[in-house]
Amino acid sequence: MEGCPRSRETCPKLLDLIPQERKWYHDEEKNNSDQEKKLELRLAPPGGDEEDHSAMKKKKNLDTRNNIKKEAEYKPIFNLSGNHFSPSNKTTYAPPHISHKRTAPGPVVGWPPVRSFRKNLASSSSSKLGNDQINKSGEGEKQVEPKREGMFVKINMDSVPIGRKVDLNAYSTYEQLSFAVDKLFKGLLAAQRDASGGEGEEKPIIGLLNGKGEFTLTYEDNEGDKMLVGDVPWQMFISSVKRLRVIKSSEISSALKFGCSKQEKMRN
Amino acid sequence: MSEDDEDQSPATDLRSQPPCSPNKSRNCISSSQTFPDHVLENVLENVLQFLDSRCDRNAASLVCKLWWKVEGLTRSEVFIGNCYALSPARLTQRFKRVRSLLLKGKPRFADFNLMPADWGANFAPWVSTMAKAYPWLEKVDLKRMFVTDDDLALLAESFPGFKELILVCCEGFGTSGIAVVANKCRKLKVLDLIESDVTDDEVDWVSCFPEDVTCLESLAFDCVEAPINFKALEGLVGRSPLLRKLRLNRFVSLEEVHRLLLLGAPQLTSLGTGSFSRGDQSQQEPPDYAAAFRACKSVVCLSGFRELMPEYLPAILPVCANLTSLNFSYANISPDMFKPIIHNCHKLQIFWALDSICDEGLQAVAATCKELRELRIFPFDPREDTEGPVSELGLQAISEGCRKLESLLYFCQHMTNAALIAMSHNCPELTVFRLCIMGRLRPDHVTGKAMDEGFGAIVKNCKKLTRLAVSGLLTDQAFRYMGEYGKLIRTLSVAFAGDSDMALRHVLEGCPRLQKLEIRDSPFGDVALRSGMHRYYNMRFVWMSACRLTMGCCKDVARAMPNLVVEVIGSDDDDVNRDYVETLYMYRSLDGPRKDAPQFVTIL
Repeated sequence: MEGCPRSRETCPKLLDLIPQERKWYHDEEKNNSDQEKKLELRLAPPGGDEEDHSAMKKKKNLDTRNNIKKEAEYKPIFNLSGNHFSPSNKTTYAPPHISHKRTAPGPVVGWPPVRSFRKNLASSSSSKLGNDQINKSGEGEKQVEPKREGMFVKINMDSVPIGRKVDLNAYSTYEQLSFAVDKLFKGLLAAQRDASGGEGEEKPIIGLLNGKGEFTLTYEDNEGDKMLVGDVPWQMFISSVKRLRVIKSSEISSALKFGCSKQEKMRN
Repeated sequence: MSEDDEDQSPATDLRSQPPCSPNKSRNCISSSQTFPDHVLENVLENVLQFLDSRCDRNAASLVCKLWWKVEGLTRSEVFIGNCYALSPARLTQRFKRVRSLLLKGKPRFADFNLMPADWGANFAPWVSTMAKAYPWLEKVDLKRMFVTDDDLALLAESFPGFKELILVCCEGFGTSGIAVVANKCRKLKVLDLIESDVTDDEVDWVSCFPEDVTCLESLAFDCVEAPINFKALEGLVGRSPLLRKLRLNRFVSLEEVHRLLLLGAPQLTSLGTGSFSRGDQSQQEPPDYAAAFRACKSVVCLSGFRELMPEYLPAILPVCANLTSLNFSYANISPDMFKPIIHNCHKLQIFWALDSICDEGLQAVAATCKELRELRIFPFDPREDTEGPVSELGLQAISEGCRKLESLLYFCQHMTNAALIAMSHNCPELTVFRLCIMGRLRPDHVTGKAMDEGFGAIVKNCKKLTRLAVSGLLTDQAFRYMGEYGKLIRTLSVAFAGDSDMALRHVLEGCPRLQKLEIRDSPFGDVALRSGMHRYYNMRFVWMSACRLTMGCCKDVARAMPNLVVEVIGSDDDDVNRDYVETLYMYRSLDGPRKDAPQFVTIL
């Protein structure tokens, strides 16, 4: 309050601190003036016009996914620190970031505010029968032991010589697994393409589950059959998967040659 | 007042007083030998010994120098809310005969990865200073401190009468440190490791307790992620006749708990049940677990269930009627499994659970647990866009059924203002209200309005409120309510809330008792920060991360308030964004800025 300039010209605008390269912040913003209006100190008590205006705005943005507008007002700040911590930091600390994309806001560090030992409940006890309606059979029992230690399965990708391992216990949905596969192989794939004379740019690996992407995720189950990932409920998948393979979508039919009939049966 | 006093040297601030005033007791001998102040000092010592509350003691020490000195001599329990507010040397200079220390380190947001590791809060300088100054130290209670195995070893060696070690949310040590404490502290009564990160050094620490009968009254190791030697534990329980509280970790199976209960069940008042699943998967007939629990006639506090096999849950039914505290927060229990259990828990006062019990389960709690004082509902799946099994319905039910509620922590996906308003009227005893609507910026999902009125009602009607955590879509108006009505609020947590600086200004210019302020990801900037300068010396700390603060303003504050340590964490110096402050953590200190700050911390 003391000595703080009220005029807009002298107030440091954080927007000005953003380097030009990060243009997308500016592009995403609706009205600069609208935003600055909100930052401006007013003599009138809070409420009244400003409140109605914002309440109206918020009414339209009921769904969190659409709340980007609200976030847009102070988004830029959160991403400024994107690179302040070196990636080699061994700890689990990561700079906070809020997704600025027009899709669902990405996960934020430390939110919801639940301590880490409470966060793994969903994956480690997903086999427990408490709330789970799917596997009340003896299969649930079998899963209990390996679940505790982490369920690592091998995963290979076409045209990438290096295979990896994923801990399926760390995920509880196919989306999470798909995201993890993208993270695992994106860099390797780009390196591979670079080496063979193609474009070395890292492209996200998407569409793994719906057949629309360049690659598709498949798996081999405990009976040796090759299946498309995503058809059966997650629990059933977990109980039967032995290894994973990311194949070119164009080669689906030949890759699943031996599992064809089974796949069709499951589809029906 | 005894005659011995006259032989001792007079106090330095001896004043000339008329000898033998009529008020003196007859025990005083000749007038020329009385030293009134010295007598007073002894009187004071004897009287002040009875003062337990640290607030009272703080007040007493302000009366005059003599009182200050005597209070310093007689204080045996010291509480330090921020380990960097003073140096260990100052502690030992001021208080000479400390038996018990409660020390807190990192700010709470460090629990959520908002602070890099190695920030500080090291126990080492404290233990090494106290080792020389307080040979009769008996109790150490640490929260969010970094404790190494060496620190624990030094502790075990330096204090022969050491009785109680409590480590809450600590890290930096492992089972080897615990082993040293177990082995060397022969008078150990309490060893409580709570929500701490204990590394598995593959040391059999349970076997390190001395061979003969122990003084153990409480042993809690439910957070230790390492298998233990069960035979040794059995032996230990067998030779610990005073053991009342036992909290096992998830590496102890149901069969093993069964055996332990047969050994020592009747004395136990608090039991952490370990995994609550069968270790031995063979088809053998399981032992009668219910019989073991039937033997637990004194158990009033039940926790554990780390890997619950729900089919065995009914075994705890025999103890339900006596329970005052029940912690199901590691167990994914469905409403159907939960309801038969809770129907018996009429005396329950503290209840922690996962939201897997659903609104239905909360309704059952409301119907049965009329004595409920504290409720904590944690999310089974802590993500933002899941459906969420608990909602305003559960909260409404609780508010109607549990009128004596004092403390609430509630994670949910959706909430309504109406439910909060109802709770504000139904539960006037609320002192702690922490609501986490996990979806950021979510408004009232029925009316679409911001959550201002709901939280406003809470601060307005719950006149005893001392701790508040807010969430959901909140405008400046909510903060206006907080500032105006939050007369007793000491701790305030804010995340993704508010529209402008005015919000924080309302709080800093209101809330007269505010001590701890933690804010993240909210649009509060320099103007707001400056508006609180008149009170930062009266607060324990202020945390602001991912807000809109600039380096310039923080420097101004640091310059204007020399006894305030202003830490800026994580901002780069040679970046274009050097003016932006990622995280601000500031606190008052008697001994200036700390010397152990790591590189990523800049102290202005």
